[in-house]
Amino acid sequence: MLQLRNLCVTIDGHEIINIDRLDLGPGDRLGLVGESGSGKTMTAKAIAGLLPNEAKVSGSVTFDGRDLLTLNDRELAKVRGKRIGFVFQDPSRSLNPMMRIGKQVSESIRIHTKLKGDAVTTKVIDLLRQVQLPNPETLIRRYPHQLSGGQQQRVMIAAAIAADPELLIADEPTTALDVTVQEEILRLLISLSEQRKMGLLFVSHDLGVIRFVCNQVAVIYGGNIVESGRMEEIIDRPMHRYTAALLAANPGMPKDNNFSTFIGKRLQTIAGSVPAVGKFPSGCRFRNRCQHATESCSTTPPVETSGADHRYLCWNPGGEGEK
Amino acid sequence: MTSLVEVKNVYFHYPRARISSGSSGWTLQDVSLTINLQSTVGIVGESGSGKSTLVRVMCGLLRHQQGVVKFNGKEISEFEGDGANDLRRQNQIVFQNPRRSLDPRMTIRRSLSEPIRALQDRIPDDEELVASIERVGLGREVLTRFPHQLSGGQLQRIGIARSLSVNPTILYADEPVSALDVSIQAQVLNLLMDLREQLGLTLVMVSHDLGVVSRMCEEIIVMREGQVVESGRTESVLSNPSSDYTAALLKAARAASLERVTGD
Repeated sequence: MLQLRNLCVTIDGHEIINIDRLDLGPGDRLGLVGESGSGKTMTAKAIAGLLPNEAKVSGSVTFDGRDLLTLNDRELAKVRGKRIGFVFQDPSRSLNPMMRIGKQVSESIRIHTKLKGDAVTTKVIDLLRQVQLPNPETLIRRYPHQLSGGQQQRVMIAAAIAADPELLIADEPTTALDVTVQEEILRLLISLSEQRKMGLLFVSHDLGVIRFVCNQVAVIYGGNIVESGRMEEIIDRPMHRYTAALLAANPGMPKDNNFSTFIGKRLQTIAGSVPAVGKFPSGCRFRNRCQHATESCSTTPPVETSGADHRYLCWNPGGEGEK
Repeated sequence: MTSLVEVKNVYFHYPRARISSGSSGWTLQDVSLTINLQSTVGIVGESGSGKSTLVRVMCGLLRHQQGVVKFNGKEISEFEGDGANDLRRQNQIVFQNPRRSLDPRMTIRRSLSEPIRALQDRIPDDEELVASIERVGLGREVLTRFPHQLSGGQLQRIGIARSLSVNPTILYADEPVSALDVSIQAQVLNLLMDLREQLGLTLVMVSHDLGVVSRMCEEIIVMREGQVVESGRTESVLSNPSSDYTAALLKAARAASLERVTGD
């Protein structure tokens, strides 16, 4: 349904993203994971056509057979918000504080569907019910500040699915929320995706959250997809050293409530931080932070190794028994 | 074990909150707890449960209306003059968002000097500042920088260096890593664990992440709606929660976390 091919985004001559291949099928839930500055949000923006004006884009973003990069603004407006919905990190910044909830959700219905008058209100109430908000009839009269963060995010999701999109892009949708609320929102996204056969591109820095939501995962570093494939396969057998390092740095929860093994235990860290754009090393972009870098890592960018459910770019991969 | 902070039947409300005869209006309600010297305590609970308010009341940034908060056996509202300065010196806090807690117009040198100027009434020399910045794994070059030139992880290290510069007895960390990436979180958490051991600090950490709390804190306090729901050894509270709320919190945390056989 969504295919990225040789997508390259440059700003001021610096390469921000270079993705040779990324696919998302109908009803797939794909997690895009990486640190700040790795290019995950830029990738989401490139798909949505929301990149800054100075960005130069090449390659293709094919959605349902059409290359989104070749569409003009009017054609794109028919796809964006209608067939592809968006949910962003901080719902309090995405909602208009001066506008009642009902009106905000109805905006996308008015723009993207033919419904009018009372039918719009009925649809809004129905959507608020679908995202499991209590008393939707009274809720439509409320303003964003009268809602909790979790309720606001549900409103954002209601607006995003108003025009029955085939793909929903969610960029860190629960980072600003409590754990209990986070779980509810994640379950809601999963059930909406299943009921509607809606594809989900889920962007996050936390593999724990991604594992819960997604069945596919793509790991991004320095604007490249360094490893991708089926979720459980990659969690159980990470091949790229960056994926393994991200997994090891995650605090996690102890298996079988064995909390005594956790106390005082240091986490494995990834040395240094993501370099600024344009400051990546030659060869493998991760090599200056990698504990397993070899000669060839510094000279030549790694080539792809691919199997049925698993692709990665690494000269000295890990694997079984090396977790 | 020596008790360092004692909180007894504390009630707190923010200005203009309406206090009715029932329970509403209070942000903290009948909170009692003890923090022992050199212990590590995690405070968990949902947004609005009063975690951050409790920390601010314990370190004297907010004044409680009822009950007793004692530091080293003395009610904190009775610290005056030099005593109040020393109370502030001994109670230091690291905030969630380092970008918001450092003045954007001050160099890091200036920001780091502030607590020493304010609480010890002297101007630190470069040697002292370099030592404090190296302790958190940064180099002398950051002293001349401004906050916008540094990353979130670097800024949080500076927040930690700044609070440690006046040799506190107790460090309060209010969600110190929730604004950071997973990989940077690990660095900052390890740093906090190392420094706590080296300096013999008492550490009170507010966090919504039970995985983090179970690594960092030997004791845990679960809060909800301004009250302490449950408290005790982290291991026993989390492996056998006595309240439904703690159980729900655990279930949610477990759902969206990676599972680990050992802590390593």
